[in-house]
Amino acid sequence: MASSLEPIVVLSLVVGVIAAVIFAGVLVALIVFTVRYRDVRAGSAPQIHGHRALEIAWTGVPLLLLAIIFVLSLVTLGQIGQGATFGSLEPPLHVDVIGHQWWFEFRYAGGAVTANELHVPVGVPIELDLSSADVIHDLWVPELGAKSDVVPGQRNVMRLFTARAGTFSGECAEFCGLEHAWMRVLVVAEPRADFDRWLAAQGAPASGAAGRGLEIVGSAVCSSCHVVQGQVAGTPIGPDLTHVGSRTIIAGGVLANTADALRAWIADPQRYKPGALMPKVPLSSADLDAVVAYLRSLK
Amino acid sequence: MTATALVRRPGAFATAGVLRTVDHKDIGIMYVLLGIAFLAIGGLEALLLRVQLATPGEQVLDPSTYDQLFTMHGITMIFLVAIPMLIGFANYVVPLQIGAEDVAFPRLNALSFWLTLFGGVLLYLSFVAGGAPDAGWFAYAPLTEPAHAVGTGMDWYIFGLAVSGAGSIIGAINLAVTILLMRCPGMVMGRAPMFTWMVLITSILIIGAYPMLTSALVMLLVDRQLGGRFFDPAGGGNATLWQHLFWSFGHPEVYIVVLPAFGMISEIVPVFSGKPLFGYRFVAASGIAIGFLSFGVWAHHMFAVGLGDAENAFFSGTSMLIAVPTGVKIFNWLATMWRGRIRLAMPMVFAIGFIATFVIGGLTGVSLAVVPIDLYTTDSYYVVGHLHYVLFGGTMMAVFAGLYYWFPKVTGRLLGHGLGLVHFWFTLIGLTLAFLPMHLLGIEGMPRRVWTYPPGMGWDWPNLVSTIGSFLIAAGAIALAANVWRSLRAGERAGDDPWDAFTLEWSTPSPPPSQNFDTIPRVRGPRPLWDRKNPDRMDPQ
Repeated sequence: MASSLEPIVVLSLVVGVIAAVIFAGVLVALIVFTVRYRDVRAGSAPQIHGHRALEIAWTGVPLLLLAIIFVLSLVTLGQIGQGATFGSLEPPLHVDVIGHQWWFEFRYAGGAVTANELHVPVGVPIELDLSSADVIHDLWVPELGAKSDVVPGQRNVMRLFTARAGTFSGECAEFCGLEHAWMRVLVVAEPRADFDRWLAAQGAPASGAAGRGLEIVGSAVCSSCHVVQGQVAGTPIGPDLTHVGSRTIIAGGVLANTADALRAWIADPQRYKPGALMPKVPLSSADLDAVVAYLRSLK
Repeated sequence: MTATALVRRPGAFATAGVLRTVDHKDIGIMYVLLGIAFLAIGGLEALLLRVQLATPGEQVLDPSTYDQLFTMHGITMIFLVAIPMLIGFANYVVPLQIGAEDVAFPRLNALSFWLTLFGGVLLYLSFVAGGAPDAGWFAYAPLTEPAHAVGTGMDWYIFGLAVSGAGSIIGAINLAVTILLMRCPGMVMGRAPMFTWMVLITSILIIGAYPMLTSALVMLLVDRQLGGRFFDPAGGGNATLWQHLFWSFGHPEVYIVVLPAFGMISEIVPVFSGKPLFGYRFVAASGIAIGFLSFGVWAHHMFAVGLGDAENAFFSGTSMLIAVPTGVKIFNWLATMWRGRIRLAMPMVFAIGFIATFVIGGLTGVSLAVVPIDLYTTDSYYVVGHLHYVLFGGTMMAVFAGLYYWFPKVTGRLLGHGLGLVHFWFTLIGLTLAFLPMHLLGIEGMPRRVWTYPPGMGWDWPNLVSTIGSFLIAAGAIALAANVWRSLRAGERAGDDPWDAFTLEWSTPSPPPSQNFDTIPRVRGPRPLWDRKNPDRMDPQ
């Protein structure tokens, strides 16, 4: 199987063709009857009150079609639902997903923690354990198929799969407040060896450059919401910054992770993501440069 | 005050007469006018939303304003447009169709109108009281719990919906009792007009479904104002309980606003085909089947919630089943047109448009009942496209058909055909451009309820087309307004029976006298006027 999307596409095509045929039939009948019987001679319309066999036919045939669709949908559900292997013999990779207003946190066995960016190996079933820190969210990566709600007080499990390396765009699909729109994620699917290297690097403690930047991030102004494992023992409310320098996007996808964008974001988060829980922090220009340099060094 | 005075002297609205009236025709007109006023407001809200979404990164609205507007758009169109319009039509038409002098409880009828209006006023007061509700019309907990919704918007939501909902429940009881007890001699239920049938089923659905909403609202109020924890998992509550309660109201609600539309189409298609409704008994029975099934399908809104495969399969099956009686109706309308004598007057034009667009909404509805497809499409723009095909392509198209059909009865004047066609084509092309690309957006992965979106996702042009479509719909609405304005001043006189119709409302003057009929009618079949006009070809008993 190419991906966990494939069975849904196949089923959608079957249902789509049936629906298209029915729609075309209704439309043709509607047009033909309208044209054919428009303004015919007065009094010529036969007073037909109904036809029992026809009623049984157009009750029975749709019922049969729906029964077929229902069975096919159960088969598809088996291919993508709980315990699905997608034809892979590999044991599934577990990742804990935690929804926050308005960003996704991903936690791997072994201690690696990322935000907004989920790395997965190709050819391996991915088992996502979904939970929420606040309200209901929903993780959806369209190119990988199904979505699942992320519900506080409840652990949902969703399995995804891709046999193809690539970067897939995803998002929160359940309305979760002001910045629901900027709760986007990237899924990076890479060969197993690359993934293992990435995971090992992400699991290591931070080795950011010491200096003024680390000093500021270590102070209450940043550490009351952020953690840098090995360097800043903060409170884990916002995204873990241990390897923030290695990520592609920041702030739920509203900005790319470049030095300029990072600087602009820290200088005034509300300008880019109005409503975001990160406040505007008063930093001098020099301090801002130092913070950005430090964060960029957290590869 | 009579309906006649209300229509001929709009200034009468400024007098106390409108406050005192208990005539079902006056109240019907007031309901429809209420619906039209809120349609203008909800439509403007939709245009603002579409302007913001026309291009990626648009800054016309900030997220807070966007969320208030999309929430109020949904609430307005469901509770303050669809429901009042349909109850308004039912109020005006049903007593006339069944040969009754008025509804069973005229004063309760007035109360239900004023409660609906008051509920709407409460909802809109929220804007000036510090912010409208902003958690969607569905208001999923725990986003609505005090920890996450700090303003008063959600409290206005609770009171506004509870009050207007009480109005709907009272109105429904009134209509149900009227239909069950006040039919004229000879009109057994098996001879009642199909619109009356569908209003009866709708009324029973309202009586069954709205108390679920009221209960959920009260629970939310307890959470918000008394420190309750019904929907707060941190306090031992359950985050998905709200969804079960809301949708066990919310899905019957879909049929509440669609069944009367089916009823209107079932009146109009036979009249303009010059034939009786094909399969009368099957059309009525399919309405009953839809009514029953509608209480057992709610969790198809919740396939992604994590209920489990067995629950999802159950609700998938029941949701698919509901397509069968819906299909029966469509096939019977087509069979009614078959070998008929089709007159393309405006009511029929809109009815044909309704069938074409509603079928699309119905078929995409089936795709959403298929769990794996739903797991992809739910909470995406695909669903927004689907629901607008059902509620606009379905309910609103039927309401327009009904408006052209019964306007001459209410005012004594016909609406113009030329402006009517302008209205129709702007509406049909507009809704196709506005709502068809939404399906594509959903398939391309665009989530619902986002205030903005990034460029480069393939979402740009379908959004722009959708925005253009929404403005075409608005242009169509202006044509309708012009048509009504012109017709009220100088429209062609309608006479009692301009459409050569079948049911009793066309046997009395237009507009009808305050007692409706000079002599109480007596009927012997489902088409009393046909029988009267064609004594040689009367319907079989």
